[in-house]
Amino acid sequence: MSKSKPAFSAIFDRDVVAYATLSLISIFCLLPFVWLILASFDKNASLFLRWPSPWTLNNYIGIFVREGGARWFFNSFVVVGTATIIVLLLAGLGGYALSRMKVWWKRPFLYTIILVRVVPPPALIVPLYKILLTGNEAVGSFVRSLVSPESVRPAMLVVGLIDGYFGLTLVFAAMQLPLALWIMKTYFDTIPHDYEEAALVDGANLFQRIRLVIAPLALPGLAAAGLFAFISAWGDFLMPLILLSSSELQMLPLGLFRAFLRVQQIDYGFLSALAILYMLPAVIAFGFARRYFVQTFSGGVKA
Amino acid sequence: MTTYDKRSSWQLQLLLLPCLLLIGALVIYPALYSVYLSLTNASLVGVAATHPRFVGPGNYLRLFGDGGFWHSLVVTLWFVLGSAVIGQFLLGLGSALLLRRPLRFKNLINSIILLPNAVPEVVAGYIWISMLAGGEQSTLNRLLGLLGIPSVQWLERFPLVMIIVANTWRGIASAMILMMAGLSAVPPEICEAARIDGASPRQIFRFITLPLIMPTIFLYMLVSTVTTISIFGFIYALTRGGPGNATEIIGIYIYNQSFTAFQLGYGSAVAVVTLVISIAIGLFYVRALKVQV
Repeated sequence: MSKSKPAFSAIFDRDVVAYATLSLISIFCLLPFVWLILASFDKNASLFLRWPSPWTLNNYIGIFVREGGARWFFNSFVVVGTATIIVLLLAGLGGYALSRMKVWWKRPFLYTIILVRVVPPPALIVPLYKILLTGNEAVGSFVRSLVSPESVRPAMLVVGLIDGYFGLTLVFAAMQLPLALWIMKTYFDTIPHDYEEAALVDGANLFQRIRLVIAPLALPGLAAAGLFAFISAWGDFLMPLILLSSSELQMLPLGLFRAFLRVQQIDYGFLSALAILYMLPAVIAFGFARRYFVQTFSGGVKA
Repeated sequence: MTTYDKRSSWQLQLLLLPCLLLIGALVIYPALYSVYLSLTNASLVGVAATHPRFVGPGNYLRLFGDGGFWHSLVVTLWFVLGSAVIGQFLLGLGSALLLRRPLRFKNLINSIILLPNAVPEVVAGYIWISMLAGGEQSTLNRLLGLLGIPSVQWLERFPLVMIIVANTWRGIASAMILMMAGLSAVPPEICEAARIDGASPRQIFRFITLPLIMPTIFLYMLVSTVTTISIFGFIYALTRGGPGNATEIIGIYIYNQSFTAFQLGYGSAVAVVTLVISIAIGLFYVRALKVQV
């Protein structure tokens, strides 16, 4: 709002109201974090707000020493990282194809993608579980025919569809794909066709064009798509809850949740430190993703 | 169509194929499969786990007589209304309006409001458990104690209100970001012209800004309603639907029916109802977006 120069007192009054309101909202937003931060440095942390005494870093160090912490981090990074890479690969190619193709089913397909995005994940857990269970039996008999009996279980922890890295990775990728596809499609729409056509005239085939011309141009769109896929899969709690049970595969959200359910012997200091380290990647990614946020509601990322 | 065009069209469709397969197999097929499951007595244990029987509309008939289901729908309705439609929207719009002024610490305030949105849902649940814990030492009770208000067991006394407050906290940012985008599209010249004509700031907002950001508000309402219906982890980590079933929003109800009570068929019927509601809202969303092909 552009102002000319109203009386000094008028500006002052209105700005005071603005500062006061925004301060209240900021306090509301920050207040729940106060306990988390204090408890993470407190040797005798409890559920209640208190000044740390004595201060300690052991809660943070413990994450990498005690059972749990490091393993949970590793699992989360493996599953969410792989899912993000799959999303980038598939959405990059698919988004490009969607932007360039001229087929009758393009519009219905785009509408379907939007509708897929509104499907609530809790509504999918039962059929997903049943489908993956059936698939898991097939994978299981295949694995049993390949490896010795004692290595079946370790193998299934990796390639199993239920209680295995592979199944959860695929589910995360499928859940994040519609938004990523949408972002990439609208992003490629803003890139002129001239570059590809020039490469085509020079005799490059489709895969050379993708690798040498299109992929480098797509980087900003891929960044946005990857950030949103990562944030959303990193924070997800429902799918690991349904699909994982082995302690070896425990991921951060589930490990944290199960740990603070144990009514006795909750180590609040340890859990708070873990929660802070768990939220850090999401917060950093969100900081980068912030400028693309509006487009996820209303269209795509503009070049 | 030339041969080249035909070939490249095939190549493009091939590039899209993996996406189609993955979304088809793990989103669209499960959604359709849930319709079939909802017509069976599928279960997680017992005979019905391996050999589910087709029971027709039995689960739906049971649904209509099930107080727990209606209760859950009503809780979800209040949850969506209270947090997304009212709480997040008003605070988000307010923040967006105020942050248009040339204030100091603008970026800092902006980041602070964004922070709750960036936190994983389990962490959000964990910190609100402490925030709302009973006893005089919990964060909220201490704060209110300074004002002379006696301590309260917040999650036991006012469970629904508390999950609404907590979810409002979590979502102010998304409303604010969208409203900022809407407001930035309002041409400042119009407001300036109205101001010169003697309109008060309130009149400018009521008769110029508000009508112009109405499409954005509509879009926000649709999006936030479907995303709020989808919430599971945050509330599950905070209350697990309790105490009793006071905060059993629809996502938690589906989970409890399917994986706690082991009735996959019945849980699927609830899931299908939820799907239909979300898709219906999604159809408005599709129309509002005016997709460019």
